[in-house]
Amino acid sequence: MCKRVLLCDDEIHILRAAEFKLKRAGYDTRIAGDGQEGWEVIQEWLPDILITDCQMPRLDGLGLVQRIRGNPATQQLPVLMLTAKGFELSFDELSARWNVLALSAKPFSPRGLLETVNRALAAEAVVA
Amino acid sequence: MNRFEKTGLASAAALVLAGASAATAIFGPLLGAATWSFRLGVLVCVAAAAATSAAVLWRRMRSGRVALERHLDALCRLDPSDLRNETVAGELPPLPPGSPWLPLARRVQETLLRQYERVQDLEHSRTALEIRYRRADSQAARVTAILSGLADPIVAIDDLDEVVLANAAAESLLQFEVETAEDRALGGLVRCQRLVDLLTTACHRELAANRTDELELVDDRGQTRWYRIRASKFFVQDAGGAAAPQGAVAILRDIGDQKAMQKRNAEFVSSVSHEMKTPLAGIKAYVELLADGDAEDDETREEFLSVINSQADRLQRLIDNLLNLARIEAGVVNVNKEQRSLNELLEEAVHVVQPAAESKSIELAANLSPLYLGVHADRDMLLQAAINLLSNAVKYTRAGGRVTLRSRLDGEQVVFEVEDTGVGLSPEDCRKVFEKFYRVKKDKDMATGTGLGLPLAKHIVEDVHGGQISVQSALGEGSTFRVALPSAKRMQPPPPESRKGPDRVQTCSALR
Repeated sequence: MCKRVLLCDDEIHILRAAEFKLKRAGYDTRIAGDGQEGWEVIQEWLPDILITDCQMPRLDGLGLVQRIRGNPATQQLPVLMLTAKGFELSFDELSARWNVLALSAKPFSPRGLLETVNRALAAEAVVA
Repeated sequence: MNRFEKTGLASAAALVLAGASAATAIFGPLLGAATWSFRLGVLVCVAAAAATSAAVLWRRMRSGRVALERHLDALCRLDPSDLRNETVAGELPPLPPGSPWLPLARRVQETLLRQYERVQDLEHSRTALEIRYRRADSQAARVTAILSGLADPIVAIDDLDEVVLANAAAESLLQFEVETAEDRALGGLVRCQRLVDLLTTACHRELAANRTDELELVDDRGQTRWYRIRASKFFVQDAGGAAAPQGAVAILRDIGDQKAMQKRNAEFVSSVSHEMKTPLAGIKAYVELLADGDAEDDETREEFLSVINSQADRLQRLIDNLLNLARIEAGVVNVNKEQRSLNELLEEAVHVVQPAAESKSIELAANLSPLYLGVHADRDMLLQAAINLLSNAVKYTRAGGRVTLRSRLDGEQVVFEVEDTGVGLSPEDCRKVFEKFYRVKKDKDMATGTGLGLPLAKHIVEDVHGGQISVQSALGEGSTFRVALPSAKRMQPPPPESRKGPDRVQTCSALR
């Protein structure tokens, strides 16, 4: 069964680029336009990994991660974050406190994102 | 008859008796042979001559005394300043020439004049002192008034670290009263230790250099504000003119606005970079997909190229907004105003914003006036203002909401309004929403933005077109932005003879 990747961003063209690359690599993908919608998809679809932007309407990336870590069913979900913010976010804090696997700065490379997803899921498989 | 006259009279009588005795003594032996009656006649003649001389002498003495009395009396009545005037002094009742009183009268005059001049000198010194005192007094009052009227708090201490001066602003900020304080020690009056340290260090350091610090203080209303404090030694000149250090004074300047501006600038740079990175991220991602050959068919390739193109346009619009605002603010913008139809401009703006509204399922309706609404406007600028207002309305209205654009003629003005069913603004936000970089806190996560759209619209409407922009809103009840512009009637081609001269000028100014 293909691994399921959920992409969460309010910029539709960013979602489409990442989705296109991941789909071509054989992943099953779904997209959500903001954190709230992402949370609803996570509960219903249970993805293997989440890629989310930080700044989104309704519920932002950090809010979404907090919800995920606060729920026993989703506590272990691997999370990658994308951000266009420069200096406000600290990866060390995100990693230590919220177990975020990677923080990629925008503009990002779809190729690089795919590699990160591959690595993250491979590590998951080893742990499992 | 006074003592003087009595003495004169006694002298005259003595003279008569002496004359008679002398005559008897001299003529007695000569007249021995003469008859007694002849002797008596001679004696009487001599006595009469002596009495006459005595009377003349007495009268002369009396008239000399009267002249002296008159002279002194006139002298007393005279204004002492006239004594310096020789003509006036010469008009005093004269003393007879050779009078024994003349030296005395002169001495009296000289003494009077000397005393008068001393009094004059004293009077001048007193006036000068009074003027200096009044000046010093009013200067002190002025300095006190200036200090107490100064919005910047000021505190001064002496070399014993006791507060010697604090203006009203300082007393209110630092919450103490110098006049009523039993102990004026700075450390006891001021709770902020850093301020105490700054002042005392400035006071006791050898060098006279200023010391500055920035710190947050809580004012009497419980609000925290940033202050920049500059403390410096002050010197007072001693009697010898040497400057001796007396203490230190600190001036506290409220830099709350500056700090807020710095914060807004930092937020602005952050949001501008975010706004720029987002389309850039799209462009780079699709370029990479194309370069990697991920787009296998022409349709996909064209789709990717179209995304790249639209994201490049978005980047350009953002840069245009930034540049326009900077140029308008710096006053270096080329304005190309012409007679235009407001409705046509608004339709164009709706056309630009429509896709964004549709993607959020927001109904964007245009209820434009059927009348021709003429404006004397720069097309690109006014279009940008209308787009900014409409796209803001779409941004801050939830999916399924409604944005309505209306236009109408209102007396001498043409008006357009953008009404939304969005999240609305608090009264404070309504006041600040046109300030550069201001972003409504609670709505920051709702949409991205630079805090430039509304300030730019305000500049365009008010500074470039002489109109007014305003907002009416309540939290949760949507917002209505209203723009009023001077109406410009449809321009008639002027008759050929009036193309030059004052009429033409008048036509132009009427259209402005």
